[in-house]
Amino acid sequence: MKEIVFNQVCKSYDQNQVVKNLNMKVEGGERLILLGPSGCGKSTTLRMIAGLEDITSGDLYLGDKRVNDVESGDRNVSMVFQNYALYPHMTVRQNISYALKVNKFPSDEINSRTSEAIRMLDLTGLEERKPKELSGGQRQRVALARAIVKRADYFLLDEPLSNLDAQLRAYARKELVKIHEQYHQTFVYVTHDQIEAMTVGQKIALMNEGTLQAFDTPQNIYKKPANVFTAKFIGSPPANVVEASYDAGYLYIEGAKMKLPDAWCKVVGSRNRLYFGIRPEDIHLTRAPKDKDYAMKALVRYVENYGNQLGVYFQVKGMEMLAICEDAAPMPGENVYFEPDFDKIHLFDIETTNNLGYPKKLQ
Amino acid sequence: MKKRKLKEQILATCLILPSLIVFTIFMFWPLARTVYLSFFDWNMIKPVKKFVGFQNYVTLLTDDLTYKVLGNTLLYIAILLVINFVFPYILSFILSFLMRKGKGFYKTAFFLPSVISLVVGSILYVWILNPVTGPIAKILVHFGIVLPIWSKSEGLVIWILSLVTSWKVFGYNFIIVLSGVMGVPQEVIEAAKIDHVSNYRIFTQIILPMSSATGIYVFIITIVQGLQYVFTPIKVVTQGGPNYASSNLIYQTYHEAFYMYRTGVASAFSVLSMVLFVGLLVLEFKYVEKGVYYEN
Amino acid sequence: MKIDKKQWLYQILFAAITIVLLFPIIFAISNSFKTLEEATNHIWRFIPAAPTLENYRHVFERLPFVRITMNTFLIAFTVTVFKSLTSILAAYAFVFLDFKGKGSLYFVLISTMFIPFTVTMIPNYITVSALGLNDNIWGVALPQLSDALGIFLLRQSMRTVPKSLIEVARMEKIGHARIIRDILLPLVKPAVVSTGIIFFINSWNEYVWPVLILKSKENYTLSLALQMFISSEGGTDFTVAMAVSVTTMIVPLILYMIFQKYIINTFALSGVKG
Repeated sequence: MKEIVFNQVCKSYDQNQVVKNLNMKVEGGERLILLGPSGCGKSTTLRMIAGLEDITSGDLYLGDKRVNDVESGDRNVSMVFQNYALYPHMTVRQNISYALKVNKFPSDEINSRTSEAIRMLDLTGLEERKPKELSGGQRQRVALARAIVKRADYFLLDEPLSNLDAQLRAYARKELVKIHEQYHQTFVYVTHDQIEAMTVGQKIALMNEGTLQAFDTPQNIYKKPANVFTAKFIGSPPANVVEASYDAGYLYIEGAKMKLPDAWCKVVGSRNRLYFGIRPEDIHLTRAPKDKDYAMKALVRYVENYGNQLGVYFQVKGMEMLAICEDAAPMPGENVYFEPDFDKIHLFDIETTNNLGYPKKLQ
Repeated sequence: MKKRKLKEQILATCLILPSLIVFTIFMFWPLARTVYLSFFDWNMIKPVKKFVGFQNYVTLLTDDLTYKVLGNTLLYIAILLVINFVFPYILSFILSFLMRKGKGFYKTAFFLPSVISLVVGSILYVWILNPVTGPIAKILVHFGIVLPIWSKSEGLVIWILSLVTSWKVFGYNFIIVLSGVMGVPQEVIEAAKIDHVSNYRIFTQIILPMSSATGIYVFIITIVQGLQYVFTPIKVVTQGGPNYASSNLIYQTYHEAFYMYRTGVASAFSVLSMVLFVGLLVLEFKYVEKGVYYEN
Repeated sequence: MKIDKKQWLYQILFAAITIVLLFPIIFAISNSFKTLEEATNHIWRFIPAAPTLENYRHVFERLPFVRITMNTFLIAFTVTVFKSLTSILAAYAFVFLDFKGKGSLYFVLISTMFIPFTVTMIPNYITVSALGLNDNIWGVALPQLSDALGIFLLRQSMRTVPKSLIEVARMEKIGHARIIRDILLPLVKPAVVSTGIIFFINSWNEYVWPVLILKSKENYTLSLALQMFISSEGGTDFTVAMAVSVTTMIVPLILYMIFQKYIINTFALSGVKG
């Protein structure tokens, strides 16, 4: 019903292609996060759904209707802008009710929807204030209230929390989920913050340079990154991904070698060059490895204290990597063994950078 | 074209159309017509225009008067630039970065004359600078100085008429230059002061380059609008005299058209001044509008 | 100590310029209330010893003065209303709509700010005469109904309105007319008001075009009437000339006093970005 379907959608400005062949289906009532670094095309994608940007080629469907040529006002979407876009000369109540009035809703309907939104977003007592008399958090809630009174099927948010400080942001995230659970709109949310993506999203679409990199649940995106970009973008600190080579059961990094478990050797198949990835928290650095064959010699360069954890920068031959240790980290200059948790490593194709998959028993 | 784009295109056209109609009838069409008329011998009344090719231009370019008027025009430009471009720049720098008090007051006061008609300005200055009964003459007489009859003096008249024009233009230019100069961040100036950079160097090496977009804009409007503003005092006070000593390109065009009724020569004169102004325009858009327009 | 001394120097410099600029205005006002005899003998006296309204009475007697003021007002008012309307609409299109040829059209329109009036003067005179509007105040108003400066100034101020405000409204199915009326105009009100005031003042002061078009005294505007009192040799009409000057400049001056903040800010905006 309320799904969004992208079919080969492209967007270019002059010669510059900002969204490339986007194919994606957002289920009705789902919370989708559009995530990616700045300039990746995520905001453009959102604005195409909103009808604020033309689609250069391809088809966009809202429900079963192709909307390429439908005016923004006729798309049944509502949107929260990064700068909130509140009307500065109107009070909170006028901001929320203005569009309903212009579109000639009956006045008791306007009043009940406005009051409900004011109550829900905790704006009681602020109804007659102008936006400039409100705090950042309050403004953000007014923008949300204004967007929900329309009861649109599609709820679009463009970095709605990026102007709030960290504490407010955590609170506002919960608020957003609460709103969604009340109205069950199809939710499309643009952010560059992966914590927001993980906590708010039911699905994440990760974009880079106009291309969809991964489209999956937050869980899967973190645990089974679809490609090198995803592995490096998701997680803080990001995953280590290094070039490696494979030969007869052994994995080589810059001349250092270790055995690869048989199950992984099947995944590698006939390749002899690949990318090896592992998250910092899945690395053991130890003086005494369980099995020296399945470990590499490493040199500790530098240790960072994060408070509850320690970040250890180490080198395997020339290749620098980062490990997270809970306690008892080795000292800089110390020679240790790098021992990966083989249940949690990721291998990627050297050409396509796509994930090679995982051994049967891990799946 | 896509349907939505087409709709927006039509809407935009409708919104711009009223302006465009006025512009077409009273700006673009006359512009073309002036060029056309410059090839004819006509007096605006005769039913037949006689095609004379480039004859009007030849007449103009072989007439010593043309060169006198051109010379006058250049002198006007030079004086106007010093008073309404160089001074405002220096004063803006002093007011925004060196002075602690009075910004609001001086802005208001300086701008005030620019809302007053130049006809009023011309009349007031005619009386104020009256060589016999004017207030200035009455003071100077105590020092044994007699004001010359400037409106009849070939050497002086351009200076005085430029002053009258500057009275109106100065404040307007000052406000625009000031906003450009104030756009230079205070921290940059403070950093330079901490490093013992002299005010002269701050002005020439920091303020000027950092406000150059505004600077060029004001430079050009000083010339383009200044020359047109001067028209009023010339017309009101001297009618171009004595012996064309105060005439400029703009006034001379008017003179040819509505005193001599030489429509063709007048048109040729305006084409000549347009060529001069278009040159400036190209300069303006090359340096100022570039990189400004697409910002939105 | 040294710094304070410099501050004083600057203040004196600026005060001196202020005096030079404002002196003519004070000179005119003060002498317009003097008798000719007092003006001749005590030209430096700022507050007349025996103030008189005789000069103003004289102006009203010698000219159809009410009619002339009315002409000036009617032209300025019409020009202001139409220029404001055409400029608001065009500026809205240039800032908030996307259309083909936007950049070049804007360039062409704005370029006309730099075209000297003599270039269009002769054909416009012919056009207005052909329309039968020679020696008619509407012939003065007609060519001024749209204006590059207005489009330019309003576009500058509309660009300070975040585009997302307009986008949000369009998404809520609000039509362009409502957007302009309910959202845009309240936000750019200062610029619209000051642009309007500037239109009014400029038209009030307009001299070159009326001088070509208007011939009979009862069709004159103030600037033209004023011109009749000029005499570069200085004459007997000195105090009367001052009275006409004051009546001509009083309206722009009052408007400026009331709206000076708006006006200055609008012009300041015109310098910052092109």
